[in-house]
Amino acid sequence: MAASRVSSYSLESQRVSLARGSSALISPEGVREDGRSPHECRPAFLQTGAVNAAAGSAYAEFGQTKVIVSVFGPRESKKAQAYSDIGRLNCNVSFATFAGSVRGKAGQSTEEKEYSQMLYKGLEGAVALHTFPKTTVDVFALILQSGGGDLPVVLSCASLALADAGIVMYDLVSAISLSRLDTNLLLDATLGEEINQDGSLMLACMASRNEVTQLLLTGEWSQANLSEGLKLCLDACTKLAGLMRSTLKESTSNIED
Amino acid sequence: MTEHEHAASVGEDVELEAFRRLYPLEFLEKFLKDGVRPDGRPLGRARSTLISVGSLPHAEGSAMVKLGNTTMLAGVKLEVMTPSVDFPDEGRIVVDFQMPAICSPHVRPGRQSELEPVVSEQIRNALSSSMMVDLRELNIAPGKAAWMAYLDVYCLDSDGSLLDAALLATAAALADLKLPEVAVTDDGKVLPASSDVQEHRSLKNIQSKRLKLGKIPMALTCAVHPKYILPDPTAEEEAILKTTITVLTDFSGQLFSLYKPGGEVLASTSTVQDCFALAKYRGKELQKIFNNAVIDAEADDAMVED
Amino acid sequence: MVVGLSAAERRYLTDGIAQGLRNDGRGLYDFRAFSVELAIIPQANGSARVRLGATDVITSVKAELGRPQASRPSQGRVEINIECSSTAAPQFEGRGGEDLSLELSRALYRSLLCNNGTGPAIDLSALTVIEGKLCWNLFIDGLVLSSDGNLLDVLAIAVKAALSNTGIPKVEVTSAAAAEQEADFEISDNPDDFSGFDVSHVPVIITLTKVGRTYIVDATEEEESQMSSAISIAVNSAGHVCGITKRGGAGLDPSVLLDMISVAKEVSKSLLSTVDAEIMAAESRGDDQM
Repeated sequence: MAASRVSSYSLESQRVSLARGSSALISPEGVREDGRSPHECRPAFLQTGAVNAAAGSAYAEFGQTKVIVSVFGPRESKKAQAYSDIGRLNCNVSFATFAGSVRGKAGQSTEEKEYSQMLYKGLEGAVALHTFPKTTVDVFALILQSGGGDLPVVLSCASLALADAGIVMYDLVSAISLSRLDTNLLLDATLGEEINQDGSLMLACMASRNEVTQLLLTGEWSQANLSEGLKLCLDACTKLAGLMRSTLKESTSNIED
Repeated sequence: MTEHEHAASVGEDVELEAFRRLYPLEFLEKFLKDGVRPDGRPLGRARSTLISVGSLPHAEGSAMVKLGNTTMLAGVKLEVMTPSVDFPDEGRIVVDFQMPAICSPHVRPGRQSELEPVVSEQIRNALSSSMMVDLRELNIAPGKAAWMAYLDVYCLDSDGSLLDAALLATAAALADLKLPEVAVTDDGKVLPASSDVQEHRSLKNIQSKRLKLGKIPMALTCAVHPKYILPDPTAEEEAILKTTITVLTDFSGQLFSLYKPGGEVLASTSTVQDCFALAKYRGKELQKIFNNAVIDAEADDAMVED
Repeated sequence: MVVGLSAAERRYLTDGIAQGLRNDGRGLYDFRAFSVELAIIPQANGSARVRLGATDVITSVKAELGRPQASRPSQGRVEINIECSSTAAPQFEGRGGEDLSLELSRALYRSLLCNNGTGPAIDLSALTVIEGKLCWNLFIDGLVLSSDGNLLDVLAIAVKAALSNTGIPKVEVTSAAAAEQEADFEISDNPDDFSGFDVSHVPVIITLTKVGRTYIVDATEEEESQMSSAISIAVNSAGHVCGITKRGGAGLDPSVLLDMISVAKEVSKSLLSTVDAEIMAAESRGDDQM
């Protein structure tokens, strides 16, 4: 290659402009950059059946975050895998090269591997694995645009896609994240808020069973803060679960028409 | 689905599905004999085509194309590069076609689909032989800096005629591409236009602009049956017929290249000519759709600027 | 899990735990005894080996001078990388240990540094030499030599021990360079001329493994094979939670979760003092040898 890359001109400055004090991200009156109040979620759009080639699929858009999840199977497990009397769940998350402000590179990044693991752990408690013995269900997610809270959006979208594929679950998994900036707890944080957070909480749960399937917490938290954060996330997950349920209902009533 | 609508009862539905799976060729031929395709369109027509541009705010240019169920999303990311010594005033466009695991049951994560490099190369060839973009358009400061455009086309849903949809998405994303306003120093350092001017006195501003486009390439894939030609086949039709001919032209029907990658059916000269005629018809159809989508986007631009 | 337990053994183990009895005679919330060795790798800036039961890990800290990131000009960077040696367990052979290695690395990173590297455990601004130009980057590497359960908790102890053992050489800035130029500096070659590292904020991690309806701390590999779910909770000396990672398995009721967090906090008090005592003991042993 004759040409060599010099720089990705404005990227450094973009990163710098994202890193700033919490005062810029939330006004003294408690209004966030995008006009939301601290405990308000981003407008969400959910749709099942986004990919026809898949057994089940869903598209989710939370503010600037956009993901597609396809589910394939249950289908034959890879030959190398030993016999198993319960089904396998195989999860994979990848980012499109244009998902972020910096162009992504080919090949699986650490972040993608970690997200894949997290997706698996958030779903395994919800999927009735014994209903598809010896076989594998593949859950593949593509993050088209990364705008904060990518992992919880992938999780919610994946459980919707599993439902669309007719995989038996104990309950839908809804997930939400929360960023802490100084003393503010900001629900369903954007990318800008996430970069500047000093603590974070991500919760995935089966709302109607009142069970937490995944919990991630970073930063130093006092007991009071922690309880409040958990409660905020649980409430938001319950609301989200309602939205997911109505999305599913809509899609089935469309088929009947 | 339309093909199911005639089925009077569930029993017939099951029988139909069984026939479709057991005797796919006979199933297909039953339709073709009546001059229709299994998805209900007339024999010689392409599927409904949708183009929308500018859907990715992180990308400097983007386009989404739906060709029936086949869905493509293309995004252009720009970086600054030093031009090569031989072509000091030219930038580069790097096209990659990607099939992520979500798009088809036949793709597994971490393993490259065999179609990826093939389609990538075909798109690159189409771009260079059509001269759609004059690479000098990507120049910033001759010999010092130029734009490197990374164009990634993602297949989001794979249902046949992938090259046709991918090439359309590529062209639409390039039409949507807007080079940002930048400032250049004397030694060729490129800075965002908002940079502090006082630090570099020798700053020259370069306005934001869209690319001037030459001939726009398009592709039409035809699945070939000994008796029929099926333009824009679905994945099912491609799998049954196994033979395809792909014609690459511009919208007015000028031929750039022709692919016939093997297959069971041998193509006579008249078959190739028929494919070519179909492509010419398709070109007129696509030109309208393409212009509408791109002009809409430019009109939006103008509104914002006003 | 490769642990092959017969149905009777499984029953013995789970029924025992339900009644508050464990195979090795421990109570539900008791850690196994562990030992700490310091400065076992001479080339590293700090290192430690921790053995707990048959679980055996080594960690090392390497400090290197580098340029701070443009987005955080007054902070150094920390990287954590854990590797599971294929000798540690049969399932780690080939690429088998990769997933677990990544899981452990990321869980440690989140507990110590939050997920964007601003965490409370390590004072990153103390790593700065010249703002925007020169800082220390810490590379923390861990190696699991042998595994008998509870890897994450042991690794966290080992990281804390290795950091307490870490000395960062003094850097002398010889010319206060102008904005555009690189700074000139000299690294002191006097081995006694270094600054230690404050580890008082580095948390310990307590993994609670749920077996049946009961949860236990410091599960052995056998016990882990019977888990229904597990959760790792990092607690610092102030008694604050600074990281939670659910390690998979079935869902948990939020009230059970809160109960687990308070158990972890309780257990952390005695664990932190034991860890501090073990590190002190190891330090004095090291001094005696010199």
